[in-house]
Amino acid sequence: MTLLPFGTHFGAPFLRWLEHSQLGVFTRSLGVWSYGIINLVHILGIVMLFGAILLLDLRLLGAWRSIPLAALSRPATTVAMTGFFVAVASGIPMLTVKSSDYIGNPFLLIKFPAIALALLNVWLVHRSPAWQAHRTRDLTRREQMRLAAGGALSLTLWLTAITAGRMIGYW
Amino acid sequence: MTRLFSAILSALLISTPAFAHHGWGGQEEQVTSLTGTVVQGVSLAGPHATMKIKVGNDVWDLTMAPPARTANAGLKEGLIPVGATVMVRGNRNLDHARHEMKTIYIKHGTAEYHVYPDRE
Repeated sequence: MTLLPFGTHFGAPFLRWLEHSQLGVFTRSLGVWSYGIINLVHILGIVMLFGAILLLDLRLLGAWRSIPLAALSRPATTVAMTGFFVAVASGIPMLTVKSSDYIGNPFLLIKFPAIALALLNVWLVHRSPAWQAHRTRDLTRREQMRLAAGGALSLTLWLTAITAGRMIGYW
Repeated sequence: MTRLFSAILSALLISTPAFAHHGWGGQEEQVTSLTGTVVQGVSLAGPHATMKIKVGNDVWDLTMAPPARTANAGLKEGLIPVGATVMVRGNRNLDHARHEMKTIYIKHGTAEYHVYPDRE
């Protein structure tokens, strides 16, 4: 994959170390259903994360204008954050099971930078004056546009992360 | 809103084929037999059970059924020791540079393991 600014073997020593870590040894010892169950938890985490994000981002992009943004932002943020932590908590052990299998897998190298950028976007949106103001007053047209841009970027980045994540298994 | 919903729905429908389970698409139709020595015994961790054998100078990655199904076929971790000779049948990767096989059947001495009986 020449699209990537670094070789596909980027991170190989880390992945080898991860496979032989205590967590890897422990996860592999959990029995024949363990991978399936951890995988299930990972999917549930993603469902919570992306489901909540989809609702919020579509609202930011102009859907369901009759529902106040403040009414949606709190539950959506809470569910998305919980989903993110569930996905991370299940994703790490899943990665340790056979980490070395992922050496040279280009999708892994798309997924994690996409997550990093998505989190950066969350941070930027949350510290924006528009977001800070949305709980206390109606937003100006300009502020709405600012949040809509954040929502569009959020959908793009999370969809990239999820798509690349799913494709890891098809490489 | 209805238009937005139908746009999302059509996007999902178009992308559905990409989410079919991975596995046999990238493998040859014909079944290949290999005889080699075990260099890494059966592992029942991960989405599929795995094992590595050496045939000539090449180390082959053998991918078997998912862990529970492989264990049900009688093949458990530690049953086949490293260094043992095994005969396996399966569908090798279309890319012959990758020594990887979706394994259907494993024979070790007199023990036979049919991990994908429906594919034999």
